[in-house]
Amino acid sequence: MSRGDQVKQGGNMTLTHEAAQAISADKVASLPATPAQYRCPICGKICVNHEDLKFHYANEHPDAIVPIIVKLNVNGKDCEVLIEPHWTLQRTLQFQLGLTGAKQMCDSGACGSCTVIMDGRAVLSCTILAAECEGKVIETVEGIAANPKWKTLIDSYCRWDAMQCGYCTPGFLVTAKALLDKNPNPTEEECREALAGNICICGTYPRHSQAILEATMKMAEGGE
Amino acid sequence: MADLAGVNGQREHFRVVGKPNLPGRLSYALATGIAKFGIDYVLPNMLHAKFLRSPYAHAKVVSVDTTKARALPGVVDILTWEDEDIVKLSTGGFGPPKPWLDNVAHEEGAEVAVIVVAESEEICEEALRLLDVEWEVLPHIVDILEGRKPDAPVIREGIPEVPSMFAMGGKDNPPKQGNVSYSYVIDGDIEAGFKEADHVIEYDLTIPAFASHMPNPPGSVAWWEDDPYHAPGKTLHIEGAVQRREQIAALYGMPPEKTVQKGLFQGGKYCDWGMRRSQEITPLLAKRTGRPVRCVNTRAQTYDFLMKQRYMYLKVGFKDNGLITAIDDFSIADGGVPGSSTFGTSGDQSYGPYYTMRCKNIRQRMEIVDSNRGMMYVSGQHCPFNWDAGTMAIYLIAEKLGKDPIEIAKINLHGPTSQDDPNPVPSFEACLEEGKKLMNWNWHPAGTKKLPDGRMHGASFRYQICPRHAFSGYDCKLEYRNGVVHLPTQGPVTGMFAVEANAMVVAEELGLEYEDISIDFDYREKFTPVGGGSDGTTASAWAMKECANILKQRLLEAAIEEAENPPRPSAMFAMPKPPSPFKGMNLKPEDLDLMDGKVVLKADPSIGVPLADAVSKNIFATYSGRPPDALWSLGMGRMLDTMNTAYCEVAVDTETGEVEILRFGVVADPGKIMRLTSLESQIDQVMYFSQGCQLLEDFVYDKKTGVKLHNNMIDYKKPGILDVPRVDRKFLETRAGNAAYGANGISHSLANTHLVIIAIHNAIGVWVDPPATPDKVLKALGKA
Repeated sequence: MSRGDQVKQGGNMTLTHEAAQAISADKVASLPATPAQYRCPICGKICVNHEDLKFHYANEHPDAIVPIIVKLNVNGKDCEVLIEPHWTLQRTLQFQLGLTGAKQMCDSGACGSCTVIMDGRAVLSCTILAAECEGKVIETVEGIAANPKWKTLIDSYCRWDAMQCGYCTPGFLVTAKALLDKNPNPTEEECREALAGNICICGTYPRHSQAILEATMKMAEGGE
Repeated sequence: MADLAGVNGQREHFRVVGKPNLPGRLSYALATGIAKFGIDYVLPNMLHAKFLRSPYAHAKVVSVDTTKARALPGVVDILTWEDEDIVKLSTGGFGPPKPWLDNVAHEEGAEVAVIVVAESEEICEEALRLLDVEWEVLPHIVDILEGRKPDAPVIREGIPEVPSMFAMGGKDNPPKQGNVSYSYVIDGDIEAGFKEADHVIEYDLTIPAFASHMPNPPGSVAWWEDDPYHAPGKTLHIEGAVQRREQIAALYGMPPEKTVQKGLFQGGKYCDWGMRRSQEITPLLAKRTGRPVRCVNTRAQTYDFLMKQRYMYLKVGFKDNGLITAIDDFSIADGGVPGSSTFGTSGDQSYGPYYTMRCKNIRQRMEIVDSNRGMMYVSGQHCPFNWDAGTMAIYLIAEKLGKDPIEIAKINLHGPTSQDDPNPVPSFEACLEEGKKLMNWNWHPAGTKKLPDGRMHGASFRYQICPRHAFSGYDCKLEYRNGVVHLPTQGPVTGMFAVEANAMVVAEELGLEYEDISIDFDYREKFTPVGGGSDGTTASAWAMKECANILKQRLLEAAIEEAENPPRPSAMFAMPKPPSPFKGMNLKPEDLDLMDGKVVLKADPSIGVPLADAVSKNIFATYSGRPPDALWSLGMGRMLDTMNTAYCEVAVDTETGEVEILRFGVVADPGKIMRLTSLESQIDQVMYFSQGCQLLEDFVYDKKTGVKLHNNMIDYKKPGILDVPRVDRKFLETRAGNAAYGANGISHSLANTHLVIIAIHNAIGVWVDPPATPDKVLKALGKA
């Protein structure tokens, strides 16, 4: 085995950028177009379809509010999702679409860990009702990670340890991407301004602008 | 430089260790959201659980009628503290044994008496509202100054006094009275010390309480599954109790082999090692219901202390040259709720700046007041011990004598070996020299320097030792398999990248690159680089270095053996290997080395064979052990090796009361830098912790009800990216520690509660207790 093969084999055990990109692409590709099941959130009964669920509610839970179907466009895919009307977008992404990148930390729009991009703007998915998102174009960290265009940004985040425990990191990364969508060549001050709503308990703040600035420089030079 | 024995003898040249910008092995998983924390798990058919939480600061559930709640559609199970399944659960933690779930709540928001399991969190909440609970509201204490008064209501009758982690004081302590336990530690002759003094200063300070605030709300998901390998019975699968799999197994009488926990992402759990009930209860609920159960705390339920409040009063005697002769330290500390850590109280008395000083006449008297304020789990991320009380003494002596506090610190710090050692500590001297340059250090007395913009300038300084706790031993294993070196570990994946530092050491010792080492994260593995503070990186790396050298020896033996007797290819039609250049040379392992991925001849490194070609067999090496005891644990501060110094510059606007930290400066000697990028981040983190507790963070209670008023991330302000100041860092490598390559570590040693506060005093000449919010600054200036 050559040294190159040796490194490759060792590398295969590591979650490289390529592996993360592939997993993210799989997650995006496997987003369900329709609900996987029509489960009654009160008693757990599995119904055949939404109409059946409504009928079940009328008979069994007449005083309860019937779950709704909301049509979301997530990472470029149209998804019909069964939710209870009070569900936030963060909860919907996690519980119905299996996307774990929008993290729940503060539950009150104060930390930025659940940031997603909606119609081009970085927004906080813990304070937005999923029911309000119908027709909106939503981009999560999984969609960003699946897109090779953002490899350089993610590489820079990892090179600079722009994370310690890593829980808040996807929120920062999504915010950074939203910044670069609008301003591909930000100053350090503009990076800091953009990330002002993201809280990191581990104190990685200087790393984010460092990573973003390195990435923009490399991207301007043509990628790697 | 430390003189380390065996293969841990010093290395002069480094290719890998200390290198910056090597990504963490799971950084891509973290950045892209692939990493799943306990709270992220969602399983089909999953139930949810919630605890009844006390609306009162101190109350007893006399009775509870669950009839209406049980009748609510979607409710699957309800348990009370009296259920046999709950009674059988045992508890750990500090203090006397206590029920796992009690009918007495000792703080507002505490889990008490009832657990509800239902189809959704909303149904859980509705069921909790439908409980008919008869509460007996008990008197509470959230102001410890009130709680220590003789006429204060006694809140914990019959509960023994607070035990000490390090058994301070012992038999000489006065007996508990009312809410107050006593812990006295007396060294030397305090009266003689004051007689010897030319001056005496007296001052008080408040150590602020601040929150642990782990980013990922604690919680778990558990389920039981059939197990074809380990009969009989089902296997428990629990996610969200990272690093506590074996404790969970023990809690439920399960062998570790039948307890699965694949997720190793721990989140930001810096020295907050306590398990929350939501992390422990799900296996029981899953067993009772036959379905997966998720139980997660909300953010509001995640405001435990990283440090408890303490009021300190100090009297310090010193000579004309600034040499301290006596320290009389009296403090009133929050004992917290039952089960709270003794860090923050008596556990803080055994070590600290006092023992780095020449002064041997020290009296520490602590009153520990039972309270209903909250819980502090094992924590050392706070400013440890009494460090800031000592820092303030040095500052005040300097002010009194009109001298630079750095000079006062130098006079008072003893030498490396003991309190009687007159020699300077080389690491400290080196830090000071660099620190002065870094900060353009030019001391001025309080209230004397105005900046061009009209604000007042203040500066401060402190020193600390770089502790390595050496409490931990490590069980290392390395496997050479199919030409690749594997480092199997249970992790966890946490903020300090300690596993990565270990892989760098292995690569260094085996002549490989960091990327060549396959880190295999597996919950069943024994090796974990977790220890007290920086032991996680530096002491575990010492043990891993031993292991790597055992593997190296075996690889070289195997290379010689295979050169002389080439093994038959294991694959049926594989070509035999070409003859080794080592064949017939009658070599011994010491004639060979590992360099750049090859086995080479030491005498002529141009003769070599790629490792994977030289050794085809599988080899493993193990090592269990620990480095030599750290001086921290041997001397508890009386023996000094590597140190650090921190500096702060502030500008104070005396019209608005606003404080701006112009910059922090840190000169630290970790002995040897293991992983530069995370070391830098660790420094930033503790300085931001320090900023938060001195300028922004505060626990606020309604005294009448005992209710916390701000347990959300809007009212409880953590520093954000626009808040944090510049941190200038400079690292020294004296190699004077005795972990890997002479490393010690930084750990939490730079966290502090008064560096900024002292700088504020230096700016305006008056004291402001932390957090120094503008209103408090103006009040201190007599303007509000």
